[in-house]
Amino acid sequence: MADLLTHVLAAYALFTVASWRFEWLTKRWVAIAMIGALLPDLNRLGLLVTDATLESMLGVPFSLDAMQTIGGVCLLAGIGAVVLTERHRQAFGVLLAGALSHLLIDGLKAYADGAAGTWLYPITWYRHPTPNLYVSSDPTVLLLTGIIAGSVFLSERDWL
Amino acid sequence: MRPAVRVAVATLLLTTLAGLCVHYGATYDERWPHPTGDQLQDDPSQFTGQQVLLFGEVQTVRDDTIVIHVHDDADDVAAELEVTNVDKSVEPGGMVQVYGVVNPDWTMTAEKTVVVNRSDGASTYKYVVSLAGVLLAIGYFCKHWQILPQKLGFEPRTDRTERETDRPNDG
Repeated sequence: MADLLTHVLAAYALFTVASWRFEWLTKRWVAIAMIGALLPDLNRLGLLVTDATLESMLGVPFSLDAMQTIGGVCLLAGIGAVVLTERHRQAFGVLLAGALSHLLIDGLKAYADGAAGTWLYPITWYRHPTPNLYVSSDPTVLLLTGIIAGSVFLSERDWL
Repeated sequence: MRPAVRVAVATLLLTTLAGLCVHYGATYDERWPHPTGDQLQDDPSQFTGQQVLLFGEVQTVRDDTIVIHVHDDADDVAAELEVTNVDKSVEPGGMVQVYGVVNPDWTMTAEKTVVVNRSDGASTYKYVVSLAGVLLAIGYFCKHWQILPQKLGFEPRTDRTERETDRPNDG
């Protein structure tokens, strides 16, 4: 994963630019997309409780990393959508789009064997080739995304 | 959607998510093309002579040689590996990916190395910055949405002009 601030800023920039084209995509929906960008990293709950602990508690194999896949984010977006009192379908779509922006950015990061992670699960376990663009702790990624998000913020403030 | 229905849907989806985590956990080791920490813990000898990708925490650094620990799911040390031909700058406490053939004496000449975290400080940087990302997203969300405990959910804040531009209720 890139750091979460990068993902949140990327979602802000992407969906704010999209809002210039789609009238219904207001700031409150951009906020939902930014929440969507957090969803895949809910697997970081593993920092608090390891898979091994969960496995011994439940008595079955268990991996929180399933949340960092297409299947995981579809279910998480569904759960997030019903946390709103209305507009569930729209919320599901925007949460999922935000989460997919996260997974797509992660799909570009470096792996020493040249293939990305298994984020296409459960559709397939295929690991597509990765361009090895960055590693997650590289501040350049955040700097670049921050400049883009800042430009979008200033453009919106000045022009709209 | 009535609150009771939303709670039922959320419960169903959470159960399905738990099932997905179980399936992923049960099948990952056989689907991942490289040895996992748990597999190394069980039988390290079956991977010697093979070309593998391993993730490890750097213990020592000497010239282009590093010693790494590969961890299992419980975060215990599953294997120790000495890796040569590491052409990147990394410090003890850092995290690396190494790709190459594992020798029987648990050494490897790396064909490619990726430094995930250069040092312990790089991990800390990532967590602090990520926390800032979480706070930014939640802060921006709370600016536009408010929780209504009596309805068990979030609704848009109504003090802005956005309400008129939103579509009618589709839920």
